[in-house]
Amino acid sequence: MSEFVERAVSVPTETAAGRRPIGLLLVAIPVFLVIWLVIWPAINAISRTIWRTDADGNSSFDLSSYAFFFSDRYSLDNLAITLWTTLVCAVLLLVICLPIALYLRFSHGRLPAYVQALAILPMFVPSIILAFAFIRVLGPNGMVDILLNAVGLPKIRTPYLTPWGPVIGLVWDNIPLTVLILLSGLGSVANQSIEAARDVGANTLRVFWHIILPRISNSILVALSFSVLGIFSSFTLPYLLGPASPEMLGPFMQRTLRDVQDPIGAMTQAVVAFGFCILFGLFYVRSVAKNRGK
Amino acid sequence: MKRRTFMMSAAGAAAGLALAPRMSFAAKGQIDWYTSSDTNILDFWTNIVKPAFEAANPGLKLNLVDAGDGAGIIAIGERAIAAKQTNADPQADFFESADALLPAGAIKAGVYTNIKAAGLSNYSKVNPLAIESEYSLPYRGSQVLLAYDTTKLKPADAPKTWDALVTWIKANPGQFVYNRPDKGGSGGNFVRRAIHQANGLDPKVFNVGNYTQEFGDEALGKAWKLLADIAPHLYDKGAYSSGNTQSLQLLSQGVVTMIPVWSDQVLQAIEQGVLPAETGLVQLQDLALCGGFTRSVVIENGANREASLKLADFMLSEEMQSAILTELGGFPGVSWDHVSEDLRKKFADIIPKTIPTFPGGKWEAAINDGWYRHVAPNVDRKS
Repeated sequence: MSEFVERAVSVPTETAAGRRPIGLLLVAIPVFLVIWLVIWPAINAISRTIWRTDADGNSSFDLSSYAFFFSDRYSLDNLAITLWTTLVCAVLLLVICLPIALYLRFSHGRLPAYVQALAILPMFVPSIILAFAFIRVLGPNGMVDILLNAVGLPKIRTPYLTPWGPVIGLVWDNIPLTVLILLSGLGSVANQSIEAARDVGANTLRVFWHIILPRISNSILVALSFSVLGIFSSFTLPYLLGPASPEMLGPFMQRTLRDVQDPIGAMTQAVVAFGFCILFGLFYVRSVAKNRGK
Repeated sequence: MKRRTFMMSAAGAAAGLALAPRMSFAAKGQIDWYTSSDTNILDFWTNIVKPAFEAANPGLKLNLVDAGDGAGIIAIGERAIAAKQTNADPQADFFESADALLPAGAIKAGVYTNIKAAGLSNYSKVNPLAIESEYSLPYRGSQVLLAYDTTKLKPADAPKTWDALVTWIKANPGQFVYNRPDKGGSGGNFVRRAIHQANGLDPKVFNVGNYTQEFGDEALGKAWKLLADIAPHLYDKGAYSSGNTQSLQLLSQGVVTMIPVWSDQVLQAIEQGVLPAETGLVQLQDLALCGGFTRSVVIENGANREASLKLADFMLSEEMQSAILTELGGFPGVSWDHVSEDLRKKFADIIPKTIPTFPGGKWEAAINDGWYRHVAPNVDRKS
């Protein structure tokens, strides 16, 4: 893994000058797609929510839909549950994925390969299947309840249709991406530096804190901002597993557009969500830029 | 690792190619048929209707296509309007489920066939309660009922009025659940029944044109009070499932005792063993829960208009209407007098005397918004 990373880093410095036009050409397609499919709709949504046409056909600057969103208890509750879910998921992902990644990095043999396969598995399970499996396992009178009942224990308070339902589903769904990013970050931690620290008597915790963590803090930031962006705007899992109210912004936007037939309201929610995602995105961009600067 | 990544992307690209839309051209004698209904309807057409129709009409073939949802059907309708203007082939002949008023202007553009004037031999059998427009053909219906577990509730004690139902819900906390009103018709029509209850049990009070902010707030506000009143006694102190299927799942796992259900879904679930045979069904007698008909539309400028009308007439035949009852669990689009005697006896408990309906349009948006704001947030749930 570490070889691969080194090679990947060294390629651009060798050939950047000679291949600039081709490089720009290669970059043009994704840049064009991003402008067409992301940036233009975003600008469009922002302008349509602040520059509104009233009943008489006059268009003017109008922030009333934002004023409504930020004064409406119901919308604010939905925003709060979205931020809460995102934060809890981020913390849980770090707590779960960091030990897995450390284990995979520093152990050898056949068992870690199986563990890695298991950790990557959620990537191949569509979230709608995950949601129904969740209901059958952790739902009321589900498999867990049946097992508990068989050994004479009381039933669990099921997380289905509570805010914890989407949290469990989203964490499971995001484990592969987080583990893979952390693992590639751990590839840059040289075995020699760890051995050197051990030689001067550092214990495991000190090695982790002073040697490993500073090298992978960047990867942690990247992993978290990636999963946080996905979780913030998730739809299927909060819709199928979460409560009717408060609801996360994903289902809320879809419902406002289709069921409440209020496109301006839905666009306002989208712009607010976009604003928060830009904040998370800035972390990612900043850490990438810092990395490049080195 | 690298090889694995390559294999993954190669597999993804191959799958993408296989799923890419294939070009298709309308063929003579092949009826291009679209639906927005659930899989059970598509299965019914694939396994029952298609073989029967093709056997009865040699030379005609059905091409069954799932259009996804109502928006999908509307998009194909718009394509038919555009094709009409350029005299092109719309590549569509028959919509299994459509609203003749959508897309707006389809009738005026001459894209939908006037079924009443088309001279179908079976048209006179259609249930007059179900006819909404001359341009659409109600060929099947279903209605929301209450399904319950007879091992926990004796059929003799099943509630038959709204008040009895509310009393039962409060006496049996946690044993009733309905889904969010915009996520499935079973919960949606339960909520509409509460609106009828709060407004004098008269469905005629509401029509598609009479929504105003004041009237809506007043009429719906009374219903939100009724629903908020029962909320703490529902499953998990006021949780709402996110669709018809999820409610059925809670009933089948023995978590709740009673749920509102679509007649066709529950009969099929019992037939397939998803729900046990001990599932009881009851309809409220003071005013039934709402129901609705599915209406088909024939495309006037389709390449196979005559064959499509043959199909429409075929769907009203006794053979197909009986199959809708026995195979699909829906109820027929023809009047019950045109259904065989033994079937009428067998399905006596779901034959509706009246089929109350509730208008869509602005009412729908107001219900969807109001319910989430006034009924769904339940402050006591965490306790």
